[in-house]
Amino acid sequence: MIKNKKGAMEFSFAWIFAIIAGAIILSLAIYGVVKFMKIQGSEIDAQTAMGIGVLLNPLESGFEDSKRVLMEISTDTRIYTGCNNDSIFGRQTITTSQKLSGEWSNEGVNVPFQNRYIFSKNPVQGKDFYVFSKPFEMPFKIADLIYVTSTEDKYCFVNPPDEIEDEIKLLIGENVRENENFILESRKVNCPSESTQICFDTQSGCDIYVNRNLRRVQRSSETVWYEGDALMYAAIFSNKKDYECQIDRLMNRTEQIYEIYQDKAEFVLKKTNCDSQLDVEIMRMINLLINFQDSEDLSVISDMSEEIEKKNKAYPECRLWY
Amino acid sequence: MKNKKQNKAQMKIQQMSFMIIAVFIFLAVVGMMVFTIKLNSIRISANELEAQNAKLLASKIANSPEFSCGNLYGGSKTDCIDLDKVMALKSNVGKYTGDFWGVSNIEIRKVYPEWVWEDKECTPNNYPNCSMIHLITSSEKGEGKYNYVSLCRKEIYRKKIDGRTFDEVVDKCEIGKIIIRYGGEEDE
Repeated sequence: MIKNKKGAMEFSFAWIFAIIAGAIILSLAIYGVVKFMKIQGSEIDAQTAMGIGVLLNPLESGFEDSKRVLMEISTDTRIYTGCNNDSIFGRQTITTSQKLSGEWSNEGVNVPFQNRYIFSKNPVQGKDFYVFSKPFEMPFKIADLIYVTSTEDKYCFVNPPDEIEDEIKLLIGENVRENENFILESRKVNCPSESTQICFDTQSGCDIYVNRNLRRVQRSSETVWYEGDALMYAAIFSNKKDYECQIDRLMNRTEQIYEIYQDKAEFVLKKTNCDSQLDVEIMRMINLLINFQDSEDLSVISDMSEEIEKKNKAYPECRLWY
Repeated sequence: MKNKKQNKAQMKIQQMSFMIIAVFIFLAVVGMMVFTIKLNSIRISANELEAQNAKLLASKIANSPEFSCGNLYGGSKTDCIDLDKVMALKSNVGKYTGDFWGVSNIEIRKVYPEWVWEDKECTPNNYPNCSMIHLITSSEKGEGKYNYVSLCRKEIYRKKIDGRTFDEVVDKCEIGKIIIRYGGEEDE
Protein backbone atom coordinates (compact mmCIF):
# COMPACT_ATOMS: atom_id res chain seq x y z
CA MET A 1 0.00 0.00 0.00
CA ILE A 2 2.79 2.32 1.03
CA LYS A 3 4.71 1.18 -2.04
CA ASN A 4 1.77 2.08 -4.25
CA LYS A 5 1.45 5.42 -2.60
CA LYS A 6 5.16 6.09 -3.18
CA GLY A 7 4.77 5.02 -6.83
CA ALA A 8 1.82 7.35 -7.21
CA MET A 9 3.91 10.19 -5.76
CA GLU A 10 6.72 9.52 -8.26
CA PHE A 11 4.32 9.36 -11.21
CA SER A 12 2.44 12.52 -10.29
CA PHE A 13 5.67 14.51 -9.81
CA ALA A 14 6.85 13.63 -13.34
CA TRP A 15 3.46 14.63 -14.72
CA ILE A 16 3.35 17.87 -12.76
CA PHE A 17 6.88 18.68 -13.97
CA ALA A 18 5.97 17.90 -17.58
CA ILE A 19 2.73 19.88 -17.40
CA ILE A 20 4.45 22.96 -15.94
CA ALA A 21 7.32 22.80 -18.43
CA GLY A 22 4.89 22.12 -21.31
CA ALA A 23 2.69 25.04 -20.27
CA ILE A 24 5.73 27.36 -20.16
CA ILE A 25 6.89 26.23 -23.62
CA LEU A 26 3.38 26.52 -25.06
CA SER A 27 2.76 29.98 -23.60
CA LEU A 28 6.17 31.14 -24.88
CA ALA A 29 5.33 29.79 -28.33
CA ILE A 30 1.89 31.47 -28.32
CA TYR A 31 3.46 34.74 -27.12
CA GLY A 32 6.06 34.49 -29.89
CA VAL A 33 3.44 33.87 -32.58
CA VAL A 34 1.25 36.77 -31.36
CA LYS A 35 4.30 39.06 -31.24
CA PHE A 36 5.36 37.92 -34.72
CA MET A 37 1.88 38.58 -36.12
CA LYS A 38 1.91 42.07 -34.60
CA ILE A 39 5.33 42.78 -36.14
CA GLN A 40 4.03 41.53 -39.48
CA GLY A 41 1.00 43.83 -39.18
CA SER A 42 3.26 46.79 -38.41
CA GLU A 43 5.48 45.81 -41.33
CA ILE A 44 2.50 45.86 -43.73
CA ASP A 45 1.37 49.23 -42.32
CA ALA A 46 4.88 50.70 -42.63
CA GLN A 47 5.20 49.35 -46.19
CA THR A 48 1.84 50.89 -47.10
CA ALA A 49 2.79 54.25 -45.55
CA MET A 50 6.18 54.28 -47.32
CA GLY A 51 4.51 53.13 -50.54
CA ILE A 52 2.07 56.03 -50.31
CA GLY A 53 5.03 58.38 -49.84
CA VAL A 54 6.74 56.95 -52.93
CA LEU A 55 3.51 57.14 -54.93
CA LEU A 56 3.26 60.84 -54.11
CA ASN A 57 6.66 61.58 -55.75
CA PRO A 58 5.37 62.31 -59.28
CA LEU A 59 2.76 64.67 -57.82
CA GLU A 60 5.36 66.50 -55.82
CA SER A 61 7.62 66.95 -58.86
CA GLY A 62 4.83 68.94 -60.47
CA PHE A 63 4.61 66.45 -63.35
CA GLU A 64 0.99 65.72 -62.67
CA ASP A 65 -0.42 69.14 -61.88
CA SER A 66 -4.24 69.41 -62.18
CA LYS A 67 -4.50 65.69 -62.75
CA ARG A 68 -5.91 63.23 -60.29
CA VAL A 69 -4.43 59.84 -59.59
CA LEU A 70 -6.39 56.92 -58.19
CA MET A 71 -4.42 55.13 -55.49
CA GLU A 72 -5.78 51.64 -54.93
CA ILE A 73 -4.96 49.67 -51.80
CA SER A 74 -6.17 46.07 -51.66
CA THR A 75 -7.45 46.21 -48.07
CA ASP A 76 -9.54 48.74 -46.18
CA THR A 77 -7.01 51.30 -44.98
CA ARG A 78 -6.96 54.30 -42.69
CA ILE A 79 -4.32 56.88 -43.57
CA TYR A 80 -3.33 59.09 -40.64
CA THR A 81 -1.48 62.25 -41.63
CA GLY A 82 0.46 64.03 -38.93
CA CYS A 83 2.07 67.44 -38.90
CA ASN A 84 4.93 68.45 -36.69
CA ASN A 85 6.68 71.83 -36.73
CA ASP A 86 9.38 71.30 -34.13
CA SER A 87 12.24 72.00 -36.58
CA ILE A 88 12.87 74.51 -39.41
CA PHE A 89 10.96 72.55 -42.01
CA GLY A 90 8.85 70.47 -39.64
CA ARG A 91 7.69 67.01 -40.61
CA GLN A 92 4.80 65.43 -42.42
CA THR A 93 4.13 61.95 -41.10
CA ILE A 94 2.08 59.18 -42.63
CA THR A 95 0.85 56.19 -40.69
CA THR A 96 -1.59 53.59 -41.83
CA SER A 97 -3.82 51.07 -40.19
CA GLN A 98 -5.43 48.22 -42.09
CA LYS A 99 -8.50 46.11 -41.53
CA LEU A 100 -7.27 42.55 -41.13
CA SER A 101 -9.74 39.77 -40.23
CA GLY A 102 -12.41 42.35 -39.41
CA GLU A 103 -10.24 44.28 -36.95
CA TRP A 104 -8.24 47.46 -37.41
CA SER A 105 -4.55 46.98 -36.78
CA ASN A 106 -2.71 49.42 -34.51
CA GLU A 107 -1.28 52.46 -36.27
CA GLY A 108 1.94 51.34 -37.96
CA VAL A 109 5.37 52.91 -37.98
CA ASN A 110 5.48 56.69 -38.52
CA VAL A 111 6.98 57.47 -41.92
CA PRO A 112 8.27 61.07 -41.83
CA PHE A 113 8.84 63.46 -44.77
CA GLN A 114 10.34 66.93 -44.32
CA ASN A 115 9.40 68.29 -47.74
CA ARG A 116 5.82 67.04 -48.15
CA TYR A 117 2.59 68.84 -47.40
CA ILE A 118 -0.44 66.56 -47.40
CA PHE A 119 -3.96 67.81 -46.81
CA SER A 120 -6.70 65.31 -46.09
CA LYS A 121 -9.38 64.29 -43.65
CA ASN A 122 -7.64 62.76 -40.65
CA PRO A 123 -7.81 59.78 -40.79
CA VAL A 124 -8.96 59.29 -44.33
CA GLN A 125 -10.44 55.83 -44.76
CA GLY A 126 -11.18 53.57 -47.70
CA LYS A 127 -9.72 51.22 -50.28
CA ASP A 128 -9.36 53.73 -53.10
CA PHE A 129 -8.01 57.25 -52.74
CA TYR A 130 -7.92 60.13 -55.17
CA VAL A 131 -4.73 62.18 -55.00
CA PHE A 132 -3.96 65.45 -56.74
CA SER A 133 -1.55 68.34 -56.24
CA LYS A 134 -1.28 72.08 -56.78
CA PRO A 135 1.74 74.36 -56.51
CA PHE A 136 1.83 76.88 -53.69
CA GLU A 137 3.42 80.11 -54.87
CA MET A 138 4.50 83.24 -52.98
CA PRO A 139 5.09 84.53 -55.76
CA PHE A 140 7.56 81.82 -56.90
CA LYS A 141 6.89 78.17 -56.27
CA ILE A 142 7.42 77.15 -52.68
CA ALA A 143 6.10 73.59 -52.69
CA ASP A 144 3.52 71.27 -54.15
CA LEU A 145 0.52 70.73 -51.91
CA ILE A 146 -0.91 67.23 -52.05
CA TYR A 147 -4.59 66.51 -51.46
CA VAL A 148 -5.81 63.02 -50.55
CA THR A 149 -9.51 62.13 -50.54
CA SER A 150 -11.18 58.76 -50.18
CA THR A 151 -13.70 57.59 -52.78
CA GLU A 152 -15.97 56.93 -49.79
CA ASP A 153 -16.07 60.66 -48.91
CA LYS A 154 -18.15 62.62 -51.40
CA TYR A 155 -17.53 66.35 -51.83
CA CYS A 156 -20.31 68.39 -53.42
CA PHE A 157 -19.14 71.77 -54.75
CA VAL A 158 -22.20 74.04 -54.88
CA ASN A 159 -22.16 76.74 -57.53
CA PRO A 160 -18.41 77.39 -57.46
CA PRO A 161 -16.84 80.31 -59.39
CA ASP A 162 -16.00 79.56 -63.02
CA GLU A 163 -12.27 78.95 -62.55
CA ILE A 164 -12.89 76.48 -59.70
CA GLU A 165 -15.65 74.76 -61.67
CA ASP A 166 -13.32 74.38 -64.67
CA GLU A 167 -10.59 72.96 -62.49
CA ILE A 168 -12.90 70.45 -60.81
CA LYS A 169 -14.25 69.41 -64.22
CA LEU A 170 -10.65 68.87 -65.32
CA LEU A 171 -9.95 66.78 -62.21
CA ILE A 172 -13.08 64.68 -62.72
CA GLY A 173 -12.17 64.13 -66.37
CA GLU A 174 -14.38 63.50 -69.35
CA ASN A 175 -15.66 60.11 -68.26
CA VAL A 176 -17.18 60.28 -64.80
CA ARG A 177 -16.08 57.22 -62.89
CA GLU A 178 -18.36 55.06 -60.73
CA ASN A 179 -16.42 55.91 -57.58
CA GLU A 180 -16.20 59.64 -58.38
CA ASN A 181 -16.19 61.67 -55.17
CA PHE A 182 -16.24 65.23 -56.57
CA ILE A 183 -19.70 66.44 -57.51
CA LEU A 184 -20.56 69.77 -59.12
CA GLU A 185 -24.04 71.15 -58.46
CA SER A 186 -25.65 74.52 -58.97
CA ARG A 187 -27.99 74.05 -55.98
CA LYS A 188 -27.36 72.58 -52.55
CA VAL A 189 -30.54 70.45 -52.62
CA ASN A 190 -29.18 68.45 -55.54
CA CYS A 191 -26.17 67.25 -53.52
CA PRO A 192 -26.23 63.62 -52.30
CA SER A 193 -27.33 63.55 -48.66
CA GLU A 194 -24.16 61.84 -47.42
CA SER A 195 -21.85 64.31 -49.16
CA THR A 196 -19.89 67.19 -47.65
CA GLN A 197 -21.41 70.32 -49.16
CA ILE A 198 -19.00 73.11 -50.04
CA CYS A 199 -20.68 76.41 -50.75
CA PHE A 200 -19.19 79.50 -52.30
CA ASP A 201 -20.08 83.04 -51.17
CA THR A 202 -23.87 83.13 -51.21
CA GLN A 203 -25.29 79.72 -50.28
CA SER A 204 -26.34 78.85 -46.74
CA GLY A 205 -26.79 75.70 -44.67
CA CYS A 206 -23.65 74.00 -46.00
CA ASP A 207 -20.93 72.00 -44.22
CA ILE A 208 -18.14 74.23 -45.51
CA TYR A 209 -18.35 77.87 -46.64
CA VAL A 210 -15.74 79.43 -48.86
CA ASN A 211 -15.73 83.21 -48.81
CA ARG A 212 -13.73 84.24 -51.88
CA ASN A 213 -13.82 87.95 -51.00
CA LEU A 214 -12.48 87.59 -47.49
CA ARG A 215 -10.44 84.54 -48.56
CA ARG A 216 -11.56 82.43 -45.68
CA VAL A 217 -13.01 78.95 -45.19
CA GLN A 218 -15.51 78.20 -42.43
CA ARG A 219 -16.38 74.73 -41.16
CA SER A 220 -18.80 74.61 -38.19
CA SER A 221 -17.04 76.78 -35.58
CA GLU A 222 -13.62 76.68 -37.28
CA THR A 223 -12.37 79.50 -39.51
CA VAL A 224 -9.14 79.52 -41.47
CA TRP A 225 -7.74 81.99 -43.99
CA TYR A 226 -6.15 81.25 -47.33
CA GLU A 227 -4.41 82.93 -50.25
CA GLY A 228 -4.64 81.34 -53.67
CA ASP A 229 -6.55 78.28 -54.84
CA ALA A 230 -3.94 75.82 -53.60
CA LEU A 231 -4.53 76.88 -50.00
CA MET A 232 -8.30 77.06 -50.54
CA TYR A 233 -8.38 73.33 -51.39
CA ALA A 234 -6.06 72.69 -48.45
CA ALA A 235 -8.49 74.43 -46.09
CA ILE A 236 -11.44 72.47 -47.55
CA PHE A 237 -9.88 69.02 -47.23
CA SER A 238 -8.14 69.27 -43.85
CA ASN A 239 -9.07 70.28 -40.34
CA LYS A 240 -7.99 73.57 -38.74
CA LYS A 241 -5.24 72.06 -36.56
CA ASP A 242 -3.52 70.28 -39.44
CA TYR A 243 -4.03 73.22 -41.81
CA GLU A 244 -2.48 75.77 -39.44
CA CYS A 245 0.46 73.45 -38.73
CA GLN A 246 1.11 72.90 -42.45
CA ILE A 247 0.82 76.65 -43.13
CA ASP A 248 3.41 77.26 -40.43
CA ARG A 249 5.74 74.73 -42.09
CA LEU A 250 5.11 76.30 -45.49
CA MET A 251 5.90 79.78 -44.16
CA ASN A 252 9.15 78.49 -42.71
CA ARG A 253 10.11 77.04 -46.07
CA THR A 254 9.09 80.29 -47.79
CA GLU A 255 11.42 82.15 -45.44
CA GLN A 256 14.31 79.82 -46.29
CA ILE A 257 13.75 80.21 -50.03
CA TYR A 258 13.59 84.01 -49.67
CA GLU A 259 16.93 83.85 -47.85
CA ILE A 260 18.35 81.90 -50.80
CA TYR A 261 17.04 84.56 -53.22
CA GLN A 262 18.50 87.27 -50.98
CA ASP A 263 21.94 85.61 -51.29
CA LYS A 264 21.39 85.03 -55.02
CA ALA A 265 20.64 88.73 -55.57
CA GLU A 266 23.89 89.64 -53.83
CA PHE A 267 25.83 86.95 -55.71
CA VAL A 268 24.49 87.94 -59.15
CA LEU A 269 25.13 91.63 -58.41
CA LYS A 270 28.78 90.93 -57.57
CA LYS A 271 29.27 88.69 -60.59
CA THR A 272 27.37 90.50 -63.32
CA ASN A 273 26.66 93.93 -61.87
CA CYS A 274 23.00 93.17 -62.41
CA ASP A 275 20.91 94.70 -59.62
CA SER A 276 17.47 93.21 -59.01
CA GLN A 277 16.75 96.06 -56.54
CA LEU A 278 14.74 93.64 -54.43
CA ASP A 279 16.94 93.49 -51.35
CA VAL A 280 14.80 95.83 -49.19
CA GLU A 281 11.53 94.10 -50.09
CA ILE A 282 13.02 90.64 -49.56
CA MET A 283 14.28 91.75 -46.15
CA ARG A 284 10.81 93.03 -45.23
CA MET A 285 9.25 89.79 -46.43
CA ILE A 286 11.67 87.72 -44.34
CA ASN A 287 10.70 89.78 -41.28
CA LEU A 288 7.01 89.19 -41.98
CA LEU A 289 7.64 85.47 -42.33
CA ILE A 290 9.65 85.32 -39.11
CA ASN A 291 6.74 86.93 -37.25
CA PHE A 292 4.07 84.74 -38.85
CA GLN A 293 1.52 83.53 -36.28
CA ASP A 294 -1.40 81.88 -38.08
CA SER A 295 -3.33 81.84 -41.36
CA GLU A 296 -4.87 85.24 -40.62
CA ASP A 297 -1.42 86.76 -41.35
CA LEU A 298 -1.42 85.29 -44.86
CA SER A 299 -3.06 88.34 -46.47
CA VAL A 300 -0.19 90.66 -45.40
CA ILE A 301 2.37 88.18 -46.73
CA SER A 302 0.44 87.78 -49.97
CA ASP A 303 0.25 91.57 -50.47
CA MET A 304 4.00 91.83 -49.93
CA SER A 305 4.55 88.98 -52.36
CA GLU A 306 2.54 90.82 -55.03
CA GLU A 307 4.62 93.94 -54.46
CA ILE A 308 7.83 91.92 -54.81
CA GLU A 309 6.56 90.26 -57.99
CA LYS A 310 5.78 93.63 -59.57
CA LYS A 311 9.28 94.90 -58.82
CA ASN A 312 10.86 91.65 -60.03
CA LYS A 313 9.04 92.06 -63.36
CA ALA A 314 10.13 95.71 -63.64
CA TYR A 315 13.77 94.70 -64.22
CA PRO A 316 13.54 91.82 -66.69
CA GLU A 317 17.29 91.60 -67.27
CA CYS A 318 18.04 91.11 -63.59
CA ARG A 319 15.02 89.04 -62.57
CA LEU A 320 15.71 86.64 -59.74
CA TRP A 321 12.89 84.27 -60.74
CA TYR A 322 10.20 84.03 -63.36
CA MET B 1 16.20 -0.16 -2.27
CA LYS B 2 15.07 3.32 -1.33
CA ASN B 3 18.26 4.87 -2.73
CA LYS B 4 17.88 2.91 -5.96
CA LYS B 5 14.36 4.27 -6.43
CA GLN B 6 15.47 7.80 -5.60
CA ASN B 7 18.29 7.53 -8.16
CA LYS B 8 15.81 6.25 -10.76
CA ALA B 9 13.49 9.21 -10.12
CA GLN B 10 16.41 11.64 -10.33
CA MET B 11 17.47 10.06 -13.62
CA LYS B 12 13.95 10.52 -14.99
CA ILE B 13 13.90 14.16 -13.92
CA GLN B 14 17.30 14.70 -15.51
CA GLN B 15 16.17 12.98 -18.71
CA MET B 16 13.09 15.14 -18.86
CA SER B 17 15.07 18.30 -18.11
CA PHE B 18 17.52 17.51 -20.91
CA MET B 19 14.63 16.78 -23.23
CA ILE B 20 12.92 20.07 -22.37
CA ILE B 21 16.17 22.01 -22.83
CA ALA B 22 16.72 20.30 -26.19
CA VAL B 23 13.17 21.12 -27.31
CA PHE B 24 13.62 24.68 -26.12
CA ILE B 25 16.93 25.09 -27.97
CA PHE B 26 15.36 23.53 -31.09
CA LEU B 27 12.43 25.97 -30.94
CA ALA B 28 14.79 28.89 -30.38
CA VAL B 29 16.93 27.90 -33.39
CA VAL B 30 13.84 27.51 -35.61
CA GLY B 31 12.50 30.86 -34.35
CA MET B 32 15.78 32.58 -35.10
CA MET B 33 15.86 31.11 -38.59
CA VAL B 34 12.31 32.32 -39.29
CA PHE B 35 13.20 35.74 -37.86
CA THR B 36 16.33 36.00 -40.05
CA ILE B 37 14.39 35.03 -43.19
CA LYS B 38 11.68 37.56 -42.32
CA LEU B 39 14.25 40.27 -41.62
CA ASN B 40 15.89 39.60 -44.99
CA SER B 41 12.58 39.88 -46.80
CA ILE B 42 11.91 43.21 -45.03
CA ARG B 43 15.38 44.41 -46.09
CA ILE B 44 14.74 43.34 -49.70
CA SER B 45 11.38 45.11 -49.85
CA ALA B 46 12.91 48.23 -48.24
CA ASN B 47 15.65 48.25 -50.90
CA GLU B 48 13.07 47.73 -53.66
CA LEU B 49 11.05 50.68 -52.38
CA GLU B 50 14.21 52.79 -52.17
CA ALA B 51 15.20 51.91 -55.71
CA GLN B 52 11.68 52.78 -56.87
CA ASN B 53 11.97 56.06 -54.99
CA ALA B 54 15.41 56.83 -56.46
CA LYS B 55 14.07 56.69 -60.02
CA LEU B 56 12.24 59.93 -59.38
CA LEU B 57 14.37 61.42 -56.66
CA ALA B 58 17.11 62.99 -58.82
CA SER B 59 14.49 64.58 -61.03
CA LYS B 60 12.43 65.66 -58.04
CA ILE B 61 15.43 67.41 -56.46
CA ALA B 62 16.35 69.16 -59.72
CA ASN B 63 12.79 70.45 -59.98
CA SER B 64 12.43 71.50 -56.34
CA PRO B 65 12.12 75.28 -55.70
CA GLU B 66 15.61 75.43 -54.17
CA PHE B 67 17.23 74.24 -57.44
CA SER B 68 14.82 74.80 -60.29
CA CYS B 69 15.19 77.44 -63.04
CA GLY B 70 11.44 77.96 -63.25
CA ASN B 71 10.82 80.13 -66.31
CA LEU B 72 13.86 82.33 -65.76
CA TYR B 73 16.00 81.08 -68.63
CA GLY B 74 13.73 81.38 -71.64
CA GLY B 75 10.52 79.56 -70.78
CA SER B 76 9.54 76.63 -68.63
CA LYS B 77 12.18 73.93 -68.44
CA THR B 78 12.06 70.66 -66.53
CA ASP B 79 15.27 69.24 -65.08
CA CYS B 80 16.90 72.67 -65.26
CA ILE B 81 19.06 73.83 -62.36
CA ASP B 82 19.65 77.53 -61.66
CA LEU B 83 23.37 77.46 -60.81
CA ASP B 84 23.36 81.01 -59.37
CA LYS B 85 20.62 79.90 -56.97
CA VAL B 86 22.50 76.72 -56.11
CA MET B 87 25.59 78.79 -55.24
CA ALA B 88 23.37 80.82 -52.88
CA LEU B 89 21.87 77.60 -51.55
CA LYS B 90 25.38 76.29 -50.85
CA SER B 91 25.85 78.94 -48.18
CA ASN B 92 22.43 78.14 -46.65
CA VAL B 93 22.56 74.37 -47.03
CA GLY B 94 23.31 73.81 -43.34
CA LYS B 95 19.63 74.36 -42.61
CA TYR B 96 18.66 71.60 -45.01
CA THR B 97 19.91 68.88 -42.75
CA GLY B 98 18.48 65.49 -42.01
CA ASP B 99 16.17 63.91 -44.48
CA PHE B 100 14.87 67.00 -46.24
CA TRP B 101 15.52 65.55 -49.69
CA GLY B 102 15.83 61.98 -48.43
CA VAL B 103 19.43 61.65 -49.65
CA SER B 104 22.84 61.60 -48.01
CA ASN B 105 24.75 63.27 -50.88
CA ILE B 106 23.89 65.78 -53.61
CA GLU B 107 26.50 66.66 -56.19
CA ILE B 108 26.18 68.68 -59.39
CA ARG B 109 28.74 68.24 -62.17
CA LYS B 110 29.21 70.01 -65.47
CA VAL B 111 29.41 67.50 -68.29
CA TYR B 112 29.49 69.56 -71.48
CA PRO B 113 31.34 71.56 -72.70
CA GLU B 114 34.33 69.71 -71.27
CA TRP B 115 36.19 71.79 -68.78
CA VAL B 116 39.91 72.35 -68.36
CA TRP B 117 39.31 72.77 -64.64
CA GLU B 118 38.01 69.27 -64.22
CA ASP B 119 37.14 68.25 -60.64
CA LYS B 120 37.38 71.80 -59.38
CA GLU B 121 34.89 72.55 -56.62
CA CYS B 122 32.91 75.77 -57.18
CA THR B 123 33.40 78.54 -54.64
CA PRO B 124 32.17 82.16 -54.81
CA ASN B 125 35.71 83.13 -55.87
CA ASN B 126 36.22 80.74 -58.80
CA TYR B 127 32.59 80.43 -59.99
CA PRO B 128 31.77 79.83 -62.86
CA ASN B 129 35.26 78.56 -63.73
CA CYS B 130 34.75 75.28 -61.92
CA SER B 131 33.15 71.94 -62.59
CA MET B 132 31.30 70.65 -59.58
CA ILE B 133 29.28 71.62 -56.53
CA HIS B 134 29.00 69.35 -53.54
CA LEU B 135 25.89 70.40 -51.67
CA ILE B 136 25.26 67.68 -49.15
CA THR B 137 28.09 65.35 -48.30
CA SER B 138 28.27 62.56 -45.80
CA SER B 139 30.65 59.72 -45.19
CA GLU B 140 27.79 57.30 -45.78
CA LYS B 141 28.38 55.30 -48.95
CA GLY B 142 25.27 54.42 -50.84
CA GLU B 143 24.00 53.74 -54.29
CA GLY B 144 24.72 56.69 -56.60
CA LYS B 145 22.00 57.71 -59.06
CA TYR B 146 22.22 60.51 -61.56
CA ASN B 147 20.10 62.40 -63.98
CA TYR B 148 21.15 64.72 -66.81
CA VAL B 149 20.12 68.33 -66.28
CA SER B 150 20.58 71.79 -67.80
CA LEU B 151 22.79 74.08 -65.71
CA CYS B 152 21.84 77.70 -66.33
CA ARG B 153 23.25 80.98 -65.03
CA LYS B 154 23.47 84.70 -65.76
CA GLU B 155 26.71 85.81 -67.32
CA ILE B 156 28.31 88.97 -68.66
CA TYR B 157 28.78 88.89 -72.40
CA ARG B 158 31.21 91.45 -73.75
CA LYS B 159 30.28 92.54 -77.26
CA LYS B 160 31.87 95.03 -79.62
CA ILE B 161 29.76 97.37 -81.71
CA ASP B 162 31.52 99.92 -83.92
CA GLY B 163 34.75 99.40 -82.01
CA ARG B 164 33.10 100.10 -78.68
CA THR B 165 32.76 97.44 -76.00
CA PHE B 166 29.43 96.78 -74.28
CA ASP B 167 28.61 94.47 -71.38
CA GLU B 168 25.39 92.55 -71.70
CA VAL B 169 23.85 90.16 -69.19
CA VAL B 170 22.97 86.92 -70.96
CA ASP B 171 21.57 83.52 -69.98
CA LYS B 172 24.05 80.69 -70.34
CA CYS B 173 23.08 77.04 -70.11
CA GLU B 174 25.31 73.98 -70.12
CA ILE B 175 24.80 70.25 -69.74
CA GLY B 176 25.43 68.66 -66.39
CA LYS B 177 24.25 65.93 -64.14
CA ILE B 178 22.88 65.78 -60.66
CA ILE B 179 24.21 62.86 -58.68
CA ILE B 180 22.41 61.75 -55.57
CA ARG B 181 23.43 59.15 -53.08
CA TYR B 182 21.27 57.67 -50.43
CA GLY B 183 22.05 55.17 -47.70
CA GLY B 184 21.73 51.63 -48.93
CA GLU B 185 23.79 49.22 -50.93
CA GLU B 186 27.37 49.97 -51.92
CA ASP B 187 28.03 51.72 -55.17
CA GLU B 188 28.34 49.38 -58.10
